[in-house]
Amino acid sequence: MEKVKVMVVDDSRISRMMVSSMLAKTNFEVCAMAENSAEAVALYAKTKPDVVTMDMNLPDADGIECTRRIHAIDPKAKIVMISAMKDAKLIMQGRMAGIGSFLQKPVSTNELIDTLMIMCNENVGAVAVYRESYVTTFAKVLQQSLVSIFGIQSEIEISQNEESVLHVDGVAAVIGIVGEPKGRVALYMDSETMYSLSKAMLGMDPQDDLSADEAEAAIEEAGNIITGRAVSRINDVFKDKEMRITPPGTVIGSDIILSNPELISFNVVAKTSYGNVFMNVGFARGV
Amino acid sequence: MDVKLVNPFIDAFTTVLPQMGFPTPQRTGMTVNNQNAVSQGVAVIVGFTKEIRGNVVYNMSEDTAKFIASTMMMGMPVENFDEMAQSAISEMSNMLTANAATNLTALGLEVDISTPSLTVGSDFQIKISNEQYLCVVMDISGHQVEIDIAVQQ
Repeated sequence: MEKVKVMVVDDSRISRMMVSSMLAKTNFEVCAMAENSAEAVALYAKTKPDVVTMDMNLPDADGIECTRRIHAIDPKAKIVMISAMKDAKLIMQGRMAGIGSFLQKPVSTNELIDTLMIMCNENVGAVAVYRESYVTTFAKVLQQSLVSIFGIQSEIEISQNEESVLHVDGVAAVIGIVGEPKGRVALYMDSETMYSLSKAMLGMDPQDDLSADEAEAAIEEAGNIITGRAVSRINDVFKDKEMRITPPGTVIGSDIILSNPELISFNVVAKTSYGNVFMNVGFARGV
Repeated sequence: MDVKLVNPFIDAFTTVLPQMGFPTPQRTGMTVNNQNAVSQGVAVIVGFTKEIRGNVVYNMSEDTAKFIASTMMMGMPVENFDEMAQSAISEMSNMLTANAATNLTALGLEVDISTPSLTVGSDFQIKISNEQYLCVVMDISGHQVEIDIAVQQ
């Protein structure tokens, strides 16, 4: 999975370490660290980061001058200034040099991640940000939960959902996401997979009887647990997000179309020995 | 579940629809159900959470969905329940639930709502509660929309 590359420019080693540790649990990857302007320009050209965090005070030139030099080699460079001072004059000079955003030290994790996300929204697009920052977490949690809930291994594939509809034959647990961003998760599978999985979840043998009601309830609960875990993990990284989930609603039957024209959504498929488990993660457009 | 929680949803329906050019809807039925709801063709699920948690379903026939979409789009004919019509029904469900959320806040119950999930098909079942849920039938000039409301205890 391609990470969003960040270059950190700061003359203080502690500041550089702080920024990298804040980004450690995210899908941003620190691809370069520079302690002065000359090094920043050289490393920018070499590593082509998606976004740069820039300190104001550098030993050989200030952050604004360094921004000008980077812009000279890449006019589209995305630069966020992180400095101890943040006044109107600095912001005006910075904007003229091409700095897109300004943060004041000490920066909180959520401020930093939000700012980088917003800057990258223009750079790499909303789809990549959703995918990198959210959907990969859902996919990992799905894979881990298949082991912890059902005791099965799986191979995971993620793709953007190009169609606006999903076809459900069997059961789909739909769990809403509220907060920022809003969306919904649908965990779905065919009836055969539903019975096999729910028997595994309840510790039953394959030949044991399980009612449709109980099997559906098992999948519903699995959807609830997996979505809850994924959202908690995301909240843990994006401290101000406060995403929460709504209780599951379940649809059961054949030839059901689940339509979400308003969502940017991703298909996560877990291939298991019991059959395919599908999870579609969708977010409202225009966050 | 508490029957008084149903009024915010009914009030939302009777307030929002006339603003979109519909005649004032009439409530023609209210029952307490145990069994899963059965889709009439088009069913939109919207979840909510915060001080109370639950789901609301707007369940209607495809004909009714096309009638609603057409009225929302200023009378534009809707032959097929296509993507644009689906967007209209999603948006209506979103507006109704957001308005109901405002009404719930007035009762001291703040809720946040999820994005709507629109489902299309014949005869499938919708389960929104392990317990009882309320089912209200609203009539808009001969078209019925069933509203199923489940709140977790």
